[in-house]
Amino acid sequence: MTLDSGPRAALERLVGSTAPLLLGVRHHSPAVSSIVEATLDSFAPTHVLVELPEELGEWLPWVGHADAVAPLALAATVDQEAGSLAFYPFADFSPELMAIRWAVRRGVKIEAFDLPVGARTRSREEAPHHHDSQRESLMEVLTKQAGADGFEELWDRLVEARAFGQEPEAIRGAALLLGWTLRVDAALAGTTAALDLAREAHMRARLDAALAIPDARVVAVVGSFHAAALLEPRETSPAKAAASSRKVTTALLPYSFPLLDSRSGYPAGIRDPAWQQRVVDALALRVPIDEQAAEAITLVSRAVRASRHAASFPDAREAARLAMDLARLRGLTTPSRRELLEGIEAAMCQGEVLGRGRVVARALSEVMIGDRRGVLADGTPRSGLAPHVEALFRELGFPGPGDTKTKEMSLDALRSSLDRRREIALERLVAADIVFAERIASGPTAGGIDALGSKWSLHWSPSTAATIELASLFGATLIDAAGGKLRDTRARALEKGTRVALVELDTMEAAARSGIANLVIEGSARLSGGSLADARFADLVRAQTLVGRIGAGHFAALPASDDDAVPEAPVFQADLSGAERAVAEALVASLDGVSGSIDVADAIALRELTDAPARAGLGEGRLHHAIARLAREGSPLMRGAGAVLVFFVGVDLGRLQASLTSLLDAPVEGGADRAAWMRGALSVGMPALEAEPAFVNGIVEAIASWPDDGFLGRLPSLREGFDVISPRARTRLLRVLLASIEGDGASESDAVLAATPEEMAAFAAADLAARAALLALGLSLPELPPSPAEPHRELAPKVAEALGPHAISIRDRLRLVLGREREKLVGVAGRASVVLDRLYGRGEGEGANDPGEGGGTDSAFPSVRLWSEEISTLFGDRVREEILGRAAERGTPGAALELDPSSVRPSVELLEQILSLKGGLSEGDLGKLRALVRSIVEALVAELATRVRPALTGLVSPRATPRGKGPIDLRRTIQKNLGTARRREGVMRLAPERMVFRERQKRSLDWHVVLVVDVSGSMEPSVIYSALMAAILSGMPALTVKFLAFNERVVDLSEHAGDPLALLLEIAIGGGTLIGQALAYARSLVTVPSRTLLCVVSDFEDAGPSGLLLGEVRALVEGGVKALGLAALDDHGAPRFARGVAEGIAAAGMPVAALSPLELARWIGEQIR
Amino acid sequence: MATKKEKPASAPTSGAAGTDAQAPPPEQVFATELAFLAAYDSGPRPRGFRLTPSAIVTFVMGSSGRVLKLEKPVQGAPSELEIRAKFIGERGVVERAVITLAGERGLLLAGDPGTAKSMLSELLAAAISGSSQLTVQGTAGTTEEQLKYGWNYATLLAHGPSKSAIVASPVLQAMRRGAVVRIEEITRCLPEVQDALVSILSDRRLAIPELAGLGDGGDAAGSGEHVEYARPGFAVIATANLRDRGVSEMSAALKRRFNFETIPSIADPREEAKLVREKAEASLERVGQPMRVDDAVIDAVVTAFRDLRLGKSAEGWGVERPSSVMSTAEAVAVTTSIAMQATYFAKDRDPLTLVPGYLLGVVLKDEPKDRSRLLAYWDGSVKRRADAKSRVWQTLLELRSILEEA
Repeated sequence: MTLDSGPRAALERLVGSTAPLLLGVRHHSPAVSSIVEATLDSFAPTHVLVELPEELGEWLPWVGHADAVAPLALAATVDQEAGSLAFYPFADFSPELMAIRWAVRRGVKIEAFDLPVGARTRSREEAPHHHDSQRESLMEVLTKQAGADGFEELWDRLVEARAFGQEPEAIRGAALLLGWTLRVDAALAGTTAALDLAREAHMRARLDAALAIPDARVVAVVGSFHAAALLEPRETSPAKAAASSRKVTTALLPYSFPLLDSRSGYPAGIRDPAWQQRVVDALALRVPIDEQAAEAITLVSRAVRASRHAASFPDAREAARLAMDLARLRGLTTPSRRELLEGIEAAMCQGEVLGRGRVVARALSEVMIGDRRGVLADGTPRSGLAPHVEALFRELGFPGPGDTKTKEMSLDALRSSLDRRREIALERLVAADIVFAERIASGPTAGGIDALGSKWSLHWSPSTAATIELASLFGATLIDAAGGKLRDTRARALEKGTRVALVELDTMEAAARSGIANLVIEGSARLSGGSLADARFADLVRAQTLVGRIGAGHFAALPASDDDAVPEAPVFQADLSGAERAVAEALVASLDGVSGSIDVADAIALRELTDAPARAGLGEGRLHHAIARLAREGSPLMRGAGAVLVFFVGVDLGRLQASLTSLLDAPVEGGADRAAWMRGALSVGMPALEAEPAFVNGIVEAIASWPDDGFLGRLPSLREGFDVISPRARTRLLRVLLASIEGDGASESDAVLAATPEEMAAFAAADLAARAALLALGLSLPELPPSPAEPHRELAPKVAEALGPHAISIRDRLRLVLGREREKLVGVAGRASVVLDRLYGRGEGEGANDPGEGGGTDSAFPSVRLWSEEISTLFGDRVREEILGRAAERGTPGAALELDPSSVRPSVELLEQILSLKGGLSEGDLGKLRALVRSIVEALVAELATRVRPALTGLVSPRATPRGKGPIDLRRTIQKNLGTARRREGVMRLAPERMVFRERQKRSLDWHVVLVVDVSGSMEPSVIYSALMAAILSGMPALTVKFLAFNERVVDLSEHAGDPLALLLEIAIGGGTLIGQALAYARSLVTVPSRTLLCVVSDFEDAGPSGLLLGEVRALVEGGVKALGLAALDDHGAPRFARGVAEGIAAAGMPVAALSPLELARWIGEQIR
Repeated sequence: MATKKEKPASAPTSGAAGTDAQAPPPEQVFATELAFLAAYDSGPRPRGFRLTPSAIVTFVMGSSGRVLKLEKPVQGAPSELEIRAKFIGERGVVERAVITLAGERGLLLAGDPGTAKSMLSELLAAAISGSSQLTVQGTAGTTEEQLKYGWNYATLLAHGPSKSAIVASPVLQAMRRGAVVRIEEITRCLPEVQDALVSILSDRRLAIPELAGLGDGGDAAGSGEHVEYARPGFAVIATANLRDRGVSEMSAALKRRFNFETIPSIADPREEAKLVREKAEASLERVGQPMRVDDAVIDAVVTAFRDLRLGKSAEGWGVERPSSVMSTAEAVAVTTSIAMQATYFAKDRDPLTLVPGYLLGVVLKDEPKDRSRLLAYWDGSVKRRADAKSRVWQTLLELRSILEEA
């Protein structure tokens, strides 16, 4: 009994066995590989049995072929069964490969004798793990003694690291003993998997058959874990070799080192294959591994230098010394991989996990993983993906080789199971990067809902065949190839430093499309395992949708019920609640990050959010808290959205009405804020708000309560606010609002008269037009008589009162605000409607193209000037500015030119709107605009400077030093202390009481301020404030200001730093965000790091590799630069930023905050003083 | 956190004089162990080291329960002894630290506050040179004199510049003695002050230009310069706090003269709970009181600290990390405070009810948002545990109101 004897007896029995001779291996092991040949030579077997599934036996001659170059991989898959892949990569350090090569070379019989893949049970569950805490397992004892961290390392410790200079038998013994230990532990704990037992029984049966042949000398090359089990007593009735009815596809593929590395996410790999190759080469040549280690370290330090970080000879020498001394301390003759890595990390990373650490890690992966590729011997039968794909194409009716015509296919995956299979196959082809099919976009769909059918263009081209060959590297069937390719793409993207959340979501979505269930499950586990840390708000919304759709069975390849299942895609059942919850939690946490958003899309996303936490079983307190803060502290848009959300989650029913009323009743001047608030509220709240009396009455009462001029002043902003919802929704809302008036018993006031409404309208219009004309002439008129009082219930007093002195009826007001039923508006109301329609047109979305709704034509005003005059007449000059500004923003270039530089009220919003125009203007117009911008900018600078300067004054006062820092000033010390001089024994002695020190030369008071400003598009107010601040700071005596604007490129505008006008006119907004690059440039500008302040104004939606960004931040901060990230620089102080990235930056040493210009000035003042 | 510095709190194993100090140094506390190990491992040791590298590792990590026996008795050392573990963490860290120092290179221990960096540096110094007393505490006000040398001005004025007028810094003393000098919180020193170490670390000598031409034996090859040479055994262990923001960071030149070891927080929750309990017990022992807090409370404290530190609950749920430091040392402080309060006041109060208040005190330091993060933790992980019928967490959930803003 091998399993229950003591270690020594077991070892003797295992090593001593000759029938069979046991070669206990680990799948990759340089040490064991190096002894295979000698062991086999001396034993001279007639049969070599290798632990590989029987189906793979036919490939062994090709694997061991003299012309084949490792790495190679054998694969076996049960057809159409995801996750059934058995995968065996081989490299020169794989003992099995050495054994196969030896046998093929000598012509010795070699067999694969493991249980066929087709006979393995589907269930891959391990036996339940009983951790017996009372008893320490043998492995734990061994691991603890060796100071190792798990089995892998223990093997390295006990087998690999001691291999050099050892006798082959000693190495074989060590490997067998370690496997035995593991096996005994498993047997005692009852954790041996059923599959393992079945495989061992099968191997024993095959072994017995081989041993039964006369004069057979048999070698069994098995995992050392299984070795002891082969010597176990046989069952009385030999286990019947399990037969399999399932079809199995096998393949021999050329493989590569990057895939072989276990971090590539591909199975059965090993860490750092290139290093293992070095070790096996050294063992073969009997060269000390020390030399290989030193060479590897040198290569790493060269690679670090190549990425322009310092890594010199002393660093490499220290790394090598550490590795070797550590090996000695641990009782090893040569350093193993672990000591090597420890040495490199301690001597080269300098404690920087982010900056230098990443550089060193990249260098390490270059040197330690390598890029070797395998080659198959000529004549190796075609296998794997190509035949499989061709057969699949014939089955699904896709054009294959020989049919190179482009074919279009419309698929209806929901109705036909053939189409479903086709769609899944096509998605997998796309995922595997095989050039064959292209999805034809079906055009935009309403509300982001998927179109039911899909349309594809299929074309078999030479590149199809070529890309199939490439993809075959990842697997022998389409699903494996697609899964493998996705894993590979993911690993590469992560290595490049792409944002983790983005990578995971991309991978998961592609996996869901192509129905790779295990990848979807892994992805969802990763979502709940922290990969959302760097997600942006938009990513999180996407994640929520994705997880929701997977859960609901919306992906054809992941059917939710048997009815929809096809052979390629069995029913998908997985618990996604963890991911759902993680996404919901992250969403709630990221609310802070959108509080300053001015993007309606963010507000719409919020709508999705409220039910997510509840669905995920999340406590609601946190969500309420976050929403309440949004409603309190966000940008106007987000405050509106937040107010509605507060109302929806039921915290406070009255609050919505209160905020609505206060907003509506706010002074006329707050137009932009009011519009933004309404946009936020409506984009979240429609259509649910239509049914809310609190909302409906709030609007009606407020609108009814203003006098005409108050209403007209607010009208443009309200119209702007309501413009966010579609025309048809506005029509509906208008009906609801009108009904709320009429439903209270008030009919149209004019309906009681004996005239047709048309006539009445004409009369009224004529009257009102006349009145307006008289008013326009400046004549004073008596108040209009109160309109005939109809009994109003509830609303009655207010509305009735409102209708009194007001020329524009409540109904017309509502029509104006909503921009609907224009044809019913006459008089002033009609004119106002036409003026506003010039700006808002037909609106967007549902109903925009309905016939019968007029308006929106430019024809009413042939020129902007006329329009502008009409605005002025109707709404007054203050509102005119607002409307023209809005028009300018919406692309009516002439509008801004109508503004009068001398009378314009300077505001950052206006400046922002005007600046957005400058690209589309002629030189002549630009001249006019320049005058306007100058006057606004000058006014703003003056206004800001008066606020900011006090924070910066006193910069020139020198710092008082309490302690002596310089050398002692003897002359003055003696002078000061002469009073203590005493003559004693003829010598003059001084006992100084107060020391005087020579002050170091005065510090030069020049400080450098570098403003690095993101102009990628979403930061306009901050950009303007940055420019203004640059001008103000440039005016300070002790400061030198540099100004960099960046999107994907960096523009150095330092020469204009003192001239905000030039600065603002030079900046072109737009493009992506590459902060790292901008910082790299900024770093090159830094001359005196300790006297440099660097402010990055950005939303931190960085598109570059995060390694670069964090590395640059570290480099700056470590260089001594005082850096500050500004998520927003404006008077609202509400930030909009990517929270994850910002946190990373903050952790790297650059605090991130949203500041007002005044606070920024204070910060600068504090740093300098 | 500026003045925290934990001392090993284990009961003294020697009765040496001076143990009534609040925190006796490790070479005093562990004198017996050090003497034993010096006799036990007689293998080759690096120049100037009192113990062999492997004996140093054993001293720090303990003999993992084994009783070590001397081959032949040695004066002043017991014949057999079990070495207690003093540092909870990865053995590799200590091994690398020892090897670094043996190679006459600077060692920089970096890590979050409360990860026992200072304790490890004290232990290493005690084991290598028998003294952990040569210390410079880095602050923004640390001057170059504290790293190199200062002057006794009275002597200087009376006798002019001479060797006896020099006030040697701990660094210079360590160079002269061939001992380990510890520089705490090196990153808090101004960069120009830190850089005083560059030449000491690379050249292993210190020139004193003021004494040039005095001919008192320190001349460098007749150049007339006075130079102090480091004797074998001289080594520098610096510690740096990764969470300190706004500190002046180290220059690249200085960095290249150090090997960096990052000390992680304790990985195993059981180990951490054990450590917290031991430390809290030890501090109560000093006031002669028994520990009145049961394991459930300590587990809850440690679990909460770990969750908030790692940004992830023990069950794998997401937790928002507060900006404040949630170190093991803070957990010890909280546990000790709870135990003290349970001892001295309100004996009728369940110590568990004190947890939220102390936790808030740790979390809420300078960022108001941290309060809502703690509340989020309560609404998330604590609530779920309470839902899972865990009595301790149910009680804690009921106490949520303590965390809310008054």
